[in-house]
Amino acid sequence: MHIVVLAKVVPDYEVPAADFELANNRAHERYKRMMGLYDENAIESGVQLKEKYSASLTILSYGGKDDIPVLRKAVAMGGEKLSLVVGDSDDPNVIAANLKMAIDKLEDVDLILAGQQSADMDRGVVHGMLAEMLEFAFIPQIAKIDREDGQWKVIQNTESGSRELKFGGNAVLSITSVPENVPRIPTVKSIFAAKKKPVNELAEIEGNTMPIDEVSVDIPQIESVCEFIPAEDDIAEAAKILLRKLREERYI
Amino acid sequence: MKTLIIEIIEPKRLGELVTVSREFCEKPDIVAVGAGQIPGSFAKAYQVEDTVASNLVSDLASLILKEGYEIVLLSASTLGSGIAAPLSIKLSAPVVSEVIGIKPELVVERPLYGGKAVATYKLKKMPAVLTIRRKYFESADLQGFTEPTLLGPGGKKVELIAETEEKAEGIPLEDAEVIVSGGRGVGSAENFSMLQNMADFFNGAVGASRGAVDEGWVPPTQQVGQTGKIVAPSVYFAVGISGASQHLAGIANAKCVVAINKDEDANIFKRARFGVVSDYKKIVPVLIETLKEEA
Ligand SMILES: Cc1cc2nc3c(=O)[nH]c(=O)nc-3n(C[C@H](O)[C@H](O)[C@H](O)COP(=O)(O)OP(=O)(O)OC[C@H]3O[C@@H](n4cnc5c(N)ncnc54)[C@H](O)[C@@H]3O)c2cc1C
Repeated sequence: MHIVVLAKVVPDYEVPAADFELANNRAHERYKRMMGLYDENAIESGVQLKEKYSASLTILSYGGKDDIPVLRKAVAMGGEKLSLVVGDSDDPNVIAANLKMAIDKLEDVDLILAGQQSADMDRGVVHGMLAEMLEFAFIPQIAKIDREDGQWKVIQNTESGSRELKFGGNAVLSITSVPENVPRIPTVKSIFAAKKKPVNELAEIEGNTMPIDEVSVDIPQIESVCEFIPAEDDIAEAAKILLRKLREERYI
Repeated sequence: MKTLIIEIIEPKRLGELVTVSREFCEKPDIVAVGAGQIPGSFAKAYQVEDTVASNLVSDLASLILKEGYEIVLLSASTLGSGIAAPLSIKLSAPVVSEVIGIKPELVVERPLYGGKAVATYKLKKMPAVLTIRRKYFESADLQGFTEPTLLGPGGKKVELIAETEEKAEGIPLEDAEVIVSGGRGVGSAENFSMLQNMADFFNGAVGASRGAVDEGWVPPTQQVGQTGKIVAPSVYFAVGISGASQHLAGIANAKCVVAINKDEDANIFKRARFGVVSDYKKIVPVLIETLKEEA
């Protein structure tokens, strides 16, 4: 069994809006680089499958060489091989085509896991595009994966609950977050071991870009002036004031 | 423009897509997914019983090409995100997901960077596939019903074995006028009962941040935010929630946000109308007491 996890390195997704600025319509490059949060959930899910079914696990990314040190974190969590297609496009068609090229080279891939959404583009489309290019099934928002009688059995989280789904062939699954796939913290030993692992670098191929134009990117201003209700001395009074104000302004 | 809505039969979700469709055409067509009558008046309706997205993509692509649809609308939901991207490849069509604004001349807006930025795109080719973020468009009133033609059955790749509804007590999160939401600062599953207690006084619902869901204190269906529920209540109490942009993305249309947080520098105070810098364990019981006395 060979599992591939798609991982993307992004600018710090925890930078608060007040400190966030753009340069050339993208996040300013001064922000720290890190692995996308859902991608870490996907890596954790992949590592658990590796441990449970003795699968082999490849981490695959499309991005810049500078991000290799961050990608090694995925290896330290339990990935075995690391492949990077070197490129800098944000176009989902181009990214998916390049991931497909890399998957085709790996040949024997059974299952591909990806984060539900990247932590910079907020988009959730690259994995679904890749699935269709590979003629794999695409199933989003997966919380749990098992193998039974030669078939995959997965739990998908929906708006109203969850579904249990079963399929035989290859698939791309996007992984959602649940307590069971909160990413593990790699040990110091595995971090050092990961530093020595070779990276399989692949040159980018030219993919068709999606027929849309990016007209602009703007930072919307949050304009809320918070009225603080003093609560240090008299907490009962604070509670009364708060409820009174909510009523006066007809919110309740 | 010839417009097709693809959606499960749920009046509010359908209504939002009908509102969006009016930007493109007078009366859209629909593919209704799942069983039941199709509410609303559509030019032409198709129905497909199978609700597993990946089983539907091929048939939908054939229909769209045959009928010459130019705009395809889905909601940014489990179903919509399962269909939109694969469909775009089958159709060689552009796809824009999580759309939050539509402007004339095929210009659409969507968030970037956890909602800290908004990107504007112009669609250059048809058909185009859009998934619409929930609660950003008014839900149109759907009058009457439309008789469908059956679509499919297509080739079944993925089989649905079971479906579980997560039953929250009381009023659904998305319909609540008052939401009491807790984050990692709440500290445990047991402590969430305090928030439930407070919500009950307002006939409200309890929500959560991803922090609290990751801890296992609250089921994922109660997560509020970019990748959880989008809500627009009258009052949103954020208790022990730091106010990450991805959480704020779920409450952009809340009328009044009340932040209760012991860290006066927490980002949530930048979005809040009222703020209480306090340990929630001190103020929430007192709030409940006061509400009890008034009742
Ligand atoms: C692609 C992506 C999508 C995401 N989608 C979502 C989403 O849909 N929803 C979501 O919520 N997050 C989402 N996140 C995660 C988000 O970035 C934050 O990690 C998350 O919202 C943090 O949750 P929190 O505020 O509960 O926890 P923390 O950030 O840990 O904050 C806890 C807060 O509690 C306060 N506190 C602690 N103890 C007390 C006390 N006793 N009394 C009062 N206050 C106290 C602290 O001061 C702190 O401010 C997403 C992230 C990514 C990358």
